[in-house]
Amino acid sequence: MSVTTEITEFLQDVVQAMGLDLTPSIEETDDATRINLVGEDGGVLVRRGGEGLQALQHLAATAFRRQLGDDNRIVIDCNGFRKDKDAELKQMALHLVSKARSSGMPREMGPLNPYERRIVHLAIAEDPGATSESIGDAFMKTVIISTRK
Amino acid sequence: MSVTNSGDVSPIRAVLEVVVRALVDRPESVRVTETERRGMSVLELRTSPEDMGKIIGRQGRTAAALRTLVAVTAEKHGKRAQLDIKD
Repeated sequence: MSVTTEITEFLQDVVQAMGLDLTPSIEETDDATRINLVGEDGGVLVRRGGEGLQALQHLAATAFRRQLGDDNRIVIDCNGFRKDKDAELKQMALHLVSKARSSGMPREMGPLNPYERRIVHLAIAEDPGATSESIGDAFMKTVIISTRK
Repeated sequence: MSVTNSGDVSPIRAVLEVVVRALVDRPESVRVTETERRGMSVLELRTSPEDMGKIIGRQGRTAAALRTLVAVTAEKHGKRAQLDIKD
């Protein structure tokens, strides 16, 4: 059984135990396997900035860490909530690049969690004239976005 | 899909058991009890001592995620709940 199937079954068990009517839909992207939980009960996971979804993501990643290895990334979403947030984050990062460029001053973004920082770093890496760097030693870090002269 | 649980296991306890059993090396040692205290569900979680570190996680992140999931499930069922991790 593939790790994606195992995680999907785990998520089905969890949402059923919670009493939520949500159905997983799997999408493979270049970057990760996304399991999107779809249904009208999604609000429970998405409210308060998606803290329930975040918890579920951490617990699934921890439980299946060994099977996932270093190369497989799994992203758990609910009604596309995370996908929308990821797109906003990327837009914000690119907006700060243009502000850094026009002002000549670095811009700060965050504090962000590791998942969010990864999205920002990948977005910035697409622009050869811009760099990004994480500052701090806690779980949440600020990302400094600079442009080359 | 049926959303009722078999027997008298509450959704909060059911969720905790499913998730904790997936996290540990010795799922057969996982014990969850649930009691009512002043309108609040109190869940006590016990695992084999070797599995305690997995339940707590680095900087307590796994324990925090378990508490969030317990709270979210309780909220869905109009309740409040507290998780005690017994070591």
